[in-house]
Amino acid sequence: MKVSTLLRFGGAAMAAALTLTACGGAQPGASGGGAPTDPITIGVSLPLTGDFSEPGKGVQRGYEAWAKAVNDKGGLLGRQVELKILDDQSNADRVVSDYESLIEQDQVDLVFGPFSTRLVVPSARVAKEYGMLFVEPAGAAAQVFEQGFDNLFYAAPAIADDHYNHLAETIIAMPPDQRPKTAAYAAMDDPFAQGTAYGLKKKLEAAGIQTVVDEVYPPNTTDFGGIAAKIRDSGAEIMVGGTQYQDAVNLIVALQQLNYQPKLAAFTTAPTNPEFPAAIGSKTEGILSPTGWTAEAKFPSNVEFVKLYTAQFGSAPSEDEANAYTTGEVVAAAVTAVGCAAQGDCQQKLIGWLRTNTVDTVVGPLSWDAQGRPQSAHLIQQYVDGKIKIVLPAESKEAEFTFPKAAW
Amino acid sequence: MTGTLLFQSLVLGVLLGGLYALLAAGLTLYFGVMRVVMIAHSAFLVLAAYLAWDFNQRTGLDPLVSLVVTVPLFFLAGVGMQRLLIARLRPATVTMMSVLLTFAVALTIEGLLGFVYSGTQRRIQLPYSGASIDFFGARIAVVKLIAFGLAALALLGLFLVLTRTRFGQALRATIQHPQAAQLLGIDTNRIAGFGFGLGLATAAIGGTALALDSTIFPSLHWHWIGPLMAIIVVGGLGSVPGAAIAAMLLGIMQSLLQLPMGTTWAQTVFYLALFATLMIRPQGFFGGRLAQRF
Amino acid sequence: MRSASRWVALAVGVALVLAFPLVSPNAYILSAAVVILHYAVLSTSWNVVGGFTGYISLGHAAYFGLGAYGTALLITRAGVPSFLALGLAGLVVAVLAVPIGIAALRVRGASFVIVSIALVLILLLVFQSWREVTGGSDGLVVPRPFPELLRPQHHLVFFYLFAALLALVLLAWWTIDRSRFGMGLKAIREDEDKAQALGVPTFAYKLAAFVLSATFTALGGGMYALWFGDLDPVFQFSILIGSYMVLMALLGGVRHLFGPVLGALVVGVALEFFKQQYGDTQFHLVATGLLLGVVVLFMPDGVIPAVRGLLARRGPQQSSIREVSAAELQKERVP
Repeated sequence: MKVSTLLRFGGAAMAAALTLTACGGAQPGASGGGAPTDPITIGVSLPLTGDFSEPGKGVQRGYEAWAKAVNDKGGLLGRQVELKILDDQSNADRVVSDYESLIEQDQVDLVFGPFSTRLVVPSARVAKEYGMLFVEPAGAAAQVFEQGFDNLFYAAPAIADDHYNHLAETIIAMPPDQRPKTAAYAAMDDPFAQGTAYGLKKKLEAAGIQTVVDEVYPPNTTDFGGIAAKIRDSGAEIMVGGTQYQDAVNLIVALQQLNYQPKLAAFTTAPTNPEFPAAIGSKTEGILSPTGWTAEAKFPSNVEFVKLYTAQFGSAPSEDEANAYTTGEVVAAAVTAVGCAAQGDCQQKLIGWLRTNTVDTVVGPLSWDAQGRPQSAHLIQQYVDGKIKIVLPAESKEAEFTFPKAAW
Repeated sequence: MTGTLLFQSLVLGVLLGGLYALLAAGLTLYFGVMRVVMIAHSAFLVLAAYLAWDFNQRTGLDPLVSLVVTVPLFFLAGVGMQRLLIARLRPATVTMMSVLLTFAVALTIEGLLGFVYSGTQRRIQLPYSGASIDFFGARIAVVKLIAFGLAALALLGLFLVLTRTRFGQALRATIQHPQAAQLLGIDTNRIAGFGFGLGLATAAIGGTALALDSTIFPSLHWHWIGPLMAIIVVGGLGSVPGAAIAAMLLGIMQSLLQLPMGTTWAQTVFYLALFATLMIRPQGFFGGRLAQRF
Repeated sequence: MRSASRWVALAVGVALVLAFPLVSPNAYILSAAVVILHYAVLSTSWNVVGGFTGYISLGHAAYFGLGAYGTALLITRAGVPSFLALGLAGLVVAVLAVPIGIAALRVRGASFVIVSIALVLILLLVFQSWREVTGGSDGLVVPRPFPELLRPQHHLVFFYLFAALLALVLLAWWTIDRSRFGMGLKAIREDEDKAQALGVPTFAYKLAAFVLSATFTALGGGMYALWFGDLDPVFQFSILIGSYMVLMALLGGVRHLFGPVLGALVVGVALEFFKQQYGDTQFHLVATGLLLGVVVLFMPDGVIPAVRGLLARRGPQQSSIREVSAAELQKERVP
């Protein structure tokens, strides 16, 4: 008796689930019809909660700013664009099921990429297997481009390993008596953050600058006392941090607590954040950071982007927003040139067009190699008199590169 | 590796061990009075840290002032939690079910923190955040010193309460033998509630100390609960001095092991100690016979 | 007749599962169904130790992750064929589970839970840091076992593979439930000291159940790796996955063959629902927490007994002999 009741119960639940899903599946699809007046739907999955939620929300604002800018001008191909954004909770399972549901269930016409390298690789595979173009704003680590994706394009100037290229060239070009001899590296165990620091490390080591500390710490490390003690004890002349945001703040404060004074200190991502100076008590002088985008750049669409964004959100955009906006611009350029936005053959035409063309964006003109690596370079910024300014390369500089930096 | 670095790491280890000791003392206290593994202990820790941060943001006052509110608040929350939730569980399955129940509480707190404060990492910026003093060649950050002092004071207070007051005696009697304590006229239910409150009060103090020199985010509590649980097993479940000693030793070991092994591998010391303890001496190294049965 | 209706119900249930891909409107729904089947495999595997012995492991994600990584590493590093790698990974985890089980089961209750959680955390650290072998936080890409299949067909194949694995685990649970071994395990759940006094080899029984449970969980993890294709320590060794297993099993009812399956169905659908409705908040954590709390406080035996209790009150009275746990007896005695 016991088992049979159970079975009946289980069977009923299964049946209920069947009907549920069958009903759920019946209604969508209507939005993807593709009639000339229908909006173009664009599917995105972003980490709006969880570990990557902060940059994830930045990317969301960037996409929204782009959609508004496009719609205000009459849309794409005369059709309005409509974003459908799902939350992947910073979770790889979720990001895959999100894109699967966007492409299959909601029949979106286009997809945009998510945030963070960890999530880009699984989601790019889904897009590839459904034959969708996949332009993404955040998967910069070298491995993203080594998976054999033929549908992927990274919408920023350079991949992670090349972010510090201008800095590496400058250091290596210094006269031997001024050139630093030892360097300390601390990087978060994250493909992007590590990629930036190790890209620089490789180049400096090749030039004979000795690595005296090489520390990797897990994401969400909160106690940097031990790492800072090691770096201080090594007396390294250069300090390079492969960081996201809060880890950089913690590491810098820990180094300052130990009164460690390097000649050069470079950290990825964090110093470009507007809240950074306040977070480390304004002891920012001389800190370096690479950036793919700057509000001051005079590219026509950038001037417009900064103005519109500020009007829409009440504050200036940062790099995450800019990269998302760039993604939109890249896809829009392809759609306009090819003249279609739908699933199916159209996607291959879009991919083919981007392979061979250059797109003007808020970060300047972008073009890609066969694996989707962008072919430009990052700028290097430095805190000068409390303000972050571009110092490298020489042709774009707003201020002089300071070496050695003042004490912090 | 120089001697200075070694000494510096030792100092950092002692400072860290102090905080571990306070938090582990609270965790082992719940187990002692109620046979409850309180997974939500570190979630309350993070909650207290958020309250300290929020207090600092709103008022601009030093986060230490927030203790005036959070300590009594957490004490009451502890008593309430014991009365309303834990006491409802069937006595036969209380250890297992309380794990799940406190796990549920931890998830709920984490979710609500994310809901209210978002997942952004937060850190209190104090005028003395970067300040440090020289201590025989090692640099000690002022914030770390304050956090350590706070933990040491709280631990001392807890020790005095347990050994010098009638309530403490009743509490220890309840830990040692609940039935006998009941026969002596001790209201063990009431005592258990107060014990729970006391445990949560240590989380309030620990959280504030943590907020002084660390980044906080909703899922941070998972990073604390693992080491803390390992500490209370090594120290012997239910033994407050055992937990404090194990915390200090393991904190120092973690700090020193960071030098040769790096940050990530050094964390494994807690778990290695845990497995070693269970293999060699399941009742813990400093605990009494209590732990054996659980 | 009773046994006939049982077989009919079973046949209908099986037919419904097998027919699901035919009525599934698109590949997304099918992939969601694969996820639910995978949850069902995991929580039923968990129930082999959790349900019979009452030892609640919050860290079964450890075996899930080990199975997934074991399969992936055997394929990518040693060139073992996909499904052979899956079997070998199961075997490896079975061997590993023996010393872990010995450490965790030497002491009762509290320490067992602590070890189970600690295991997930330590494995997360190891798999993140041991970059040379595990790929560290770059993750690991598992080659597809059937590279020629399109994505919807890939889901279809794995739907049936997971269904077969689920059938296997259910069969194992059912067999144990009716065996002497199962009686011994249940005796441990009700009163370990008495069981021991009555001559049940409690330690050996607990260990055997533990190893079996870990192995099935690992097979579920390996299958998941073959299906999903991308592994990352943060996602494979996640406490949340372990807690989902417990929640599903408890919700459905740990004493019932299909309890965990029912729980997986409910929680799986609920998770999708919360994602759709409250996608941009942390609400899913609060919902999981509250649901777990409610289950533990108000229906620790799951919804099946709760619902049956309601039905029984209306329907004909039960016979005088019934299965009652020591805890229930105690509760009944003390008013």
